[in-house]
Amino acid sequence: MNLGAAEVRRAKLRFGLLTAAVSLLVFLVLLLTTLSNALIGSLTGALDALQADGLVYSTTARDNIVASRLDPATAQAVAAVPGVAAVGSVGTFTSRATTAGTTTDLQVFGFQPDAPGAPGGLSDGRLPAAPGEAAVGGGGVAIGDTVTLEPTGIPLTVVGLLRGAQFNALPTAYVDLATYEEAISAANPGLPFVPVNAVAFDVDDGADATSVAASVAGAVQGATGYTREQAVALIPGISSISQSFGILVGLTFIIGIVVIGFFFLILTVQKLRSFTLLRAIGAPTRSLAATVALQITLVVLAASVIAVGLTLLAVQGLNTGLPVSLSPVLIAGTVAAVLAFSLLAGLLSIRRIARIDPATAVGAR
Amino acid sequence: MTDAMTPGPTSEDPVLAATGSVPNGPGEPPALDATHHASALLRVSDVRKVYGEGHTEVVAVADATMAVDQGEFVALLGPSGSGKTTLISIVGGLLSPSGGTVTLGGSDVTGLSKKDLTAFRAERVGFVFQSANLVPFLTARENLLYVASLVKGTSRAQAQARADGLLEELGLGARAKNLPEQLSGGERQRVAIGRALMNDPDLVLVDEPTAALDTAMGRQVVELLRREIKGRGKTGIMVTHDLRMVEYTDRVFEILDGHLTHVEEPSALRH
Ligand SMILES: Nc1ncnc2c1ncn2[C@@H]1O[C@H](COP(=O)(O)OP(=O)(O)OP(=O)(O)O)[C@@H](O)[C@H]1O
Ligand SMILES: [Mg+2]
Repeated sequence: MNLGAAEVRRAKLRFGLLTAAVSLLVFLVLLLTTLSNALIGSLTGALDALQADGLVYSTTARDNIVASRLDPATAQAVAAVPGVAAVGSVGTFTSRATTAGTTTDLQVFGFQPDAPGAPGGLSDGRLPAAPGEAAVGGGGVAIGDTVTLEPTGIPLTVVGLLRGAQFNALPTAYVDLATYEEAISAANPGLPFVPVNAVAFDVDDGADATSVAASVAGAVQGATGYTREQAVALIPGISSISQSFGILVGLTFIIGIVVIGFFFLILTVQKLRSFTLLRAIGAPTRSLAATVALQITLVVLAASVIAVGLTLLAVQGLNTGLPVSLSPVLIAGTVAAVLAFSLLAGLLSIRRIARIDPATAVGAR
Repeated sequence: MTDAMTPGPTSEDPVLAATGSVPNGPGEPPALDATHHASALLRVSDVRKVYGEGHTEVVAVADATMAVDQGEFVALLGPSGSGKTTLISIVGGLLSPSGGTVTLGGSDVTGLSKKDLTAFRAERVGFVFQSANLVPFLTARENLLYVASLVKGTSRAQAQARADGLLEELGLGARAKNLPEQLSGGERQRVAIGRALMNDPDLVLVDEPTAALDTAMGRQVVELLRREIKGRGKTGIMVTHDLRMVEYTDRVFEILDGHLTHVEEPSALRH
């Protein structure tokens, strides 16, 4: 005779509403987490997925790749730093671009094929190997499309598609360094040389990227080295954006848990007469507590299934222009955390049950 | 259950059978003075219960000494506030006394830990309360089955057979799948009686079972209680202040302001 399951059977409406409410809360947490991951990913993806152990910027750039300007000859200087195995120049700029008649903003990265600094996350096609070719992340383009940079009119043929390689939350095109130089020269006639934004480097096998990156400043005049992780964390605004989303998700989570805890406390208080009776006729506190725990588990699991469904629908239905993807690890982690903390919140109810004096069941009192 | 809790004498007990102390109707051989019940299953000795302290102190039970034999169905009679509920709560292991002892079948109930008291109530006592007797979201049958689940080692099939048998016996065969709210007051009390008997307890304690019922229904319920208690060789105590219900019991104990008096025969109170 399972008390918890029997009650759920008899009070389908009440538990149905409760499950619906909990599922909305879990949905909110899942969606917020997914969207914030997508947004942060679209801001950091390019550097996060970069095929390099570290990056070198100009010291005047104050840790910002976009503000960094380096002489192309810096690459040789970085290559000479002890512990550096290979280097590649990386340049980037934001441009307007036209695809099939629509004009949007496009982030362009120039890199040297077969050197550090190539993009990661290739999902289809190949990386560019010749001038005029591009691999693109985001923006809804397909292989074979032509993307024209404005106002220079330089055409790029899409040869590969990338996932999680965006920068600045913009569609991002990766081209070879020659195409990058052509675009910069065309937009800025009369430049004595085309600067690059960064030098990507790989370290020797067994060398420590952090100490190699730290040694760059002393070895190369006017340059500062970063590991890839440091470069990602130093993208302007990224730490406050992550923090804000963290607070948002955390608060939603906490509110959800408190609401679940109170829901069950109310259900428990409503049943206090029955629980007192059961204590009087010999039910141990433990078994009544198990009833509440079982119901919390049932409600949270059912609610999670609904919430995951809603999140899938929302991710497909909402077009935010960001590469949103649902991570099974995130879902499982969120559901496990909601369940664990809900059971913790259920302790409120269990404490109430433990305080029952079975003697009060007797008589009319 | 602790090792100290050995079962009391059963109805097959040769001593009980020989002395004929399993009466089956009113007017049985009058019991001896309570303290002289040698084979008494239930013994209450010098039990005292004081609620509160100082100014708010209430002596609910002043000095209760009584003995009830196995197979006896006795009434506990007294005006409101005289300590009836307090006394049977102590006897049933729901409340610990301020002083004195209660023994059931020779083992001390008052010395049990909280945990053992819970098991004691589940295994050896059947309660029928005045109201709020049943779990509202369980059917009549499930209310009985739940009680069986409190005793380890009861098989499902066994419990189901016993629950169905009891409900049939109590005239509730057709109402087994009904929730308490779908039952009449009398039917609910009958389910509660079944619930109390479910675990085959040694002691059946009943607190004003007829308070919410009309006279005819009340008689029916008490008659049924008597039949079940005596037929199964239980020890039964029924709290009541309805003198008309006393005729179904073997003996009457009267309580007044926490003082227990013992009346030999129920007829002594009827005029
Ligand atoms: N928890 C408690 N705290 C303080 N006093 C109590 C408590 N329970 C009962 N009493 C007091 O103890 C006395 C006996 O109460 P009890 O409930 O045993 O009476 P009763 O004979 O069952 O009365 P009734 O017929 O009205 O049910 C009363 O004066 C009552 O007010
Ligand atoms: Mg009472």
